[in-house]
Amino acid sequence: MVNGLNLAFQFLDSFAFVVLAAAGLAIIFGIMGVINLAHGEFILVGAYATTFAVTAAGLPLPVAMVVGSLVTALFGIAVERTIISGFVPNWIGQRTVGRDLIEPLYDRLADSMVATFGLSLVMVQSARILFGNSIETVGTPFGNVAYGEFSYSTYRLVLAGVSILVLVAAYYVFTRTTFGTRVRATMADEQTAKALGVDTERTYMLTFGIGSGLAGLTGALFAPVLSMQPTLGDQFLIEAFVAVVVGGPSVVLGTALSGGVLGAVSATVTNLTDSTTFGRIALLLAAMLALRFLPGGITGFIERVRSRRQEGE
Amino acid sequence: MAAESATGADRGALARIRGRLEGPNTVGNSTGFWIGFAVAVLALVAYPLVGNGESFSLFLVLALLGLSLSLVWGYSGVLSFGQVVFFGVGGYTFGVVSINLPDPTGITAAALTGVVVGGITAALLGYFMFYGGVRDVYVTIITLVSTMVLQTFMAQTAGSEWTIGEAALGGFNGMPAIPLLELGITGVVSYQFVFNTLELFVPGLGTVEVDPFYYLALAALVAAYLGLRVLVNSDFGRVMVAVREDQDRTQMFGYDVKRVKLLTFTVGGALAALSGVLYAARNVYIDPQVFALWFATLPVIWVSVGGRKSLLGAVIATIGIEYFRLSVQGEMALVVLGALLLVFILALPGGIVPWIAGKISGSAVPVSELDDADAPAEVSES
Amino acid sequence: MSGDGFSRRQFVTAGGAALVSGLAGCSGGGDGGDGGAATDTMSSADTVKIGVLEDQSGNFALVGDPKYKASMLAIEEINNDGGIDGKQIEPVARDPQSDNQRYQELTREFISEEEVDVLWAGYSSATREAIRPIINRNEQLYFYTTQYEGGVCDKTTFAVGPTARQQLGSVLPYLVEEFGPKIYTIAADYNFGQLSADWVKVLADENDAEVVGEEFIPLSESSFGSVINNIQDAEPDFVMSMLVGANHTSFYEQKASAGLDVPIGTSTAMAQGYEHRRLDPPAMENIYAGVNYMEEVPTESNTGDGGFVDRYYDMYPDADYVNEEAETNYFSTYMYKEAVEQAGTLEQPEVIEALESGISLGTERAPEAPEGETIELDGATHHVDHHMWVLRADGEHNIEEVTNRKIPEQFLSNTVGCDLTQEDEQTQYTPVDYFEEAE
Repeated sequence: MVNGLNLAFQFLDSFAFVVLAAAGLAIIFGIMGVINLAHGEFILVGAYATTFAVTAAGLPLPVAMVVGSLVTALFGIAVERTIISGFVPNWIGQRTVGRDLIEPLYDRLADSMVATFGLSLVMVQSARILFGNSIETVGTPFGNVAYGEFSYSTYRLVLAGVSILVLVAAYYVFTRTTFGTRVRATMADEQTAKALGVDTERTYMLTFGIGSGLAGLTGALFAPVLSMQPTLGDQFLIEAFVAVVVGGPSVVLGTALSGGVLGAVSATVTNLTDSTTFGRIALLLAAMLALRFLPGGITGFIERVRSRRQEGE
Repeated sequence: MAAESATGADRGALARIRGRLEGPNTVGNSTGFWIGFAVAVLALVAYPLVGNGESFSLFLVLALLGLSLSLVWGYSGVLSFGQVVFFGVGGYTFGVVSINLPDPTGITAAALTGVVVGGITAALLGYFMFYGGVRDVYVTIITLVSTMVLQTFMAQTAGSEWTIGEAALGGFNGMPAIPLLELGITGVVSYQFVFNTLELFVPGLGTVEVDPFYYLALAALVAAYLGLRVLVNSDFGRVMVAVREDQDRTQMFGYDVKRVKLLTFTVGGALAALSGVLYAARNVYIDPQVFALWFATLPVIWVSVGGRKSLLGAVIATIGIEYFRLSVQGEMALVVLGALLLVFILALPGGIVPWIAGKISGSAVPVSELDDADAPAEVSES
Repeated sequence: MSGDGFSRRQFVTAGGAALVSGLAGCSGGGDGGDGGAATDTMSSADTVKIGVLEDQSGNFALVGDPKYKASMLAIEEINNDGGIDGKQIEPVARDPQSDNQRYQELTREFISEEEVDVLWAGYSSATREAIRPIINRNEQLYFYTTQYEGGVCDKTTFAVGPTARQQLGSVLPYLVEEFGPKIYTIAADYNFGQLSADWVKVLADENDAEVVGEEFIPLSESSFGSVINNIQDAEPDFVMSMLVGANHTSFYEQKASAGLDVPIGTSTAMAQGYEHRRLDPPAMENIYAGVNYMEEVPTESNTGDGGFVDRYYDMYPDADYVNEEAETNYFSTYMYKEAVEQAGTLEQPEVIEALESGISLGTERAPEAPEGETIELDGATHHVDHHMWVLRADGEHNIEEVTNRKIPEQFLSNTVGCDLTQEDEQTQYTPVDYFEEAE
């Protein structure tokens, strides 16, 4: 029984980590077709902003986290306007040489990778130049949950709860709000959406802002438990990319399911073999197998099954 | 070219060679280009006399890795993060075999084995992916994940139980004691290329000492480049490009797309492995950092900036970017590098070399050199 | 540039041929001294060229930057004091960005173009291994100053940082006595971590203690829930932690919030990455560091007025911390100075000989190193008999001294019998080959 609880908590921990790492990226990748290799650095912005809000401005932690996410969202919008959609450079270009200077990076997988890779270099090194090799961290709130001879940090469990909340909120926004409908319309068929009066430019901008804000939220949430260094984004990257692609085209459901599956594999193997290394390798191999045998990711597979069944009826 | 007179036989042979090397799939099909190419190669041959050949050979070796990605990605549309997997496998295999057989025959065999094992690894991974129907971004992620698996695995092979014969894998600290690259047959003829100097008599400069490994790498690079040119301009090359442009249509025309991708991927893997063998031989060292995300991304950067549909672009961009990356100093260095990459890819999305080629030849640019956006990501819809 | 190249190549061709045949047979024979006989007119100039390759960006910047700063401090102090044998030191420093490929290229450049008389380079053992072929080929005098797993027996390499056996050997016996004999080991899953864990087993055997569990965590891992549970399950008297890197720092934060308060002995935490300054208290409470140096080490030469710490922050007011390796960079520069003045020349083989005659700091001749007491460079093994401390962090992250003593390097001298004054070698030895308990 006690070991079952261990496994459950470790699973929740893993699930939260994968889901929160992937959330922002899933939205940006799934909706805009942009691979953001600077995703880790957006998390960095959120973490640093939150930490500074507490240590320098003295804000209470929850407020600081909101601040951190907002700062990252705004930063994301700035990036979107300049680099991703090219709005600002093209605006300048129109007024100076009379033509657009750059093409938007939407649906350009490889080019968006190079651009965001360059961006990540700039961001990490700038963080290092501006703030040094590390900054002071904030402490982890709450205590712990004790059961038998074991205990688990309450905060880590709270994170699991927050990750579920994030998924629910994202689901609500995308399915129940007008904005969400506009986003899905743009995702499905940009031209038709435009023809129907959807401001696709604005939609993309806001979506990128939301995706960045979520990445910032991840940074804010993990700020109390991480070492505040310019390279802190690296540890989220692999889980994020793997989870997003394994999840498949459905942003919310895909992230949730891949978080669940990958988290379960990682926690179980770690628990059974008592080796975190094998847990990690197992997670990666599971991802490879999932991509091989479930073409289109988990939700892509579900879609195919569902449509095949519908056709059969 | 149907009727060749006896006096035109020489011109015929040269034209035939040029015919194999030229085509719509590569930049540069004019005499002007080949003259420029010859000048460039001569310049590279002469470089060690004025510059540091020992340092520069690294860029030549990495250019092979860039070429392998250009082949796989630019010519059959498979964006692979996994070239470094085959690079690393080639390097480590070379290390393992050469440590166990440290005489020239053994070392030569080790080099060949490295290339073969790299190719086989690529064939296995390619079969796993392509024959499983995996496509587009999912291929990319699988290749990326495979590098991560290898990095995590190799980093913990530090203990003495991780030894193949005499060769300790070395874990995170890397494989020690790789023998110096001496190719040939023991006792018959052999030459040491690494950590050696070659005395040449150059008229006008007298006796100069150069690094023989530089010339080995240069020869490999030129041979690979020309070989790939022949490949991509051949009939098979046309099928490769067709697969890149529209996989489904090519399939409908009756071509075995999976086989094409597998073959290309295998050749690309073998080429990346060759690069890895030379890398391990040059550095007398290899470590799991060759499987790291950073190093796996670099070839994508090189090839994107150079122009992925251009073999020449891959070579030039690899050498240029790595040279720049190594020379810049100061804390702003990485900022400048990142900003440059950003500006380049936004301004010249098709890459540098196709852009230059377009400028030189005016508006008559063959279709395959135009920089079109990538094929749709196929992520947002099922 | 080509002018330098020619003279270097003449030098290397002469020595290179001899060295290469020696290396290819892995015999380690071939007296490197002959190769150095070809006089290199460049280095008998009026300056001493000291090469410093330390990470100021990239993954190891946090721990590498203090090393760079400390080297520069030592160089400036020596220069202000008249230099080495009257010659001013010219530092040659570049940032390798924690990238082993860059380390290799910069090492090549430093040796062949800059022609440095001595080289300090690298934080991680992987870096040391990556540049070792180049160091060995050129017989370059090389100081490796990071605390490491131990066992390097190499003719031109001086690994002057404390070894795992020295560090763990200072804190483990104390903790066994204080808390009990059951030990749980957690270590980073790579060479250093695994070898340190082997040393924990050897030391446990020597101190009548028992390792009840061992766990290895990959360097990329930052979630320690399962590790914490496993520790709780094993119920050890104390934990030995050899976690390394930014991701592993999270362990201390997570264990504190999980309420795990078992005492932890460590060779890696606090002294290198100053977690006690960066993490919120009481994350590091009851962590016992077994190290040769921390900024808080209470010796006159360190924390006294105008001591090492004062001088460091005078030169670098914005610096974050003076870490363990910084002190090693610092005192080894002074050791080099002693050796050159003893040898009377900058020629590297002669300087190596002088170093092998045994250099001490903290005598009438040479000032005390900040870690205190007299420390000796053991000529036979090229390692240092360090003054080891056990330092503990309390609930407010104040550092207090628990105990201290001199611990010599034992593994190479007593167990392996590495004697570089008698025989040239380029090997790294591991405890598994010599101790059953390390299996």
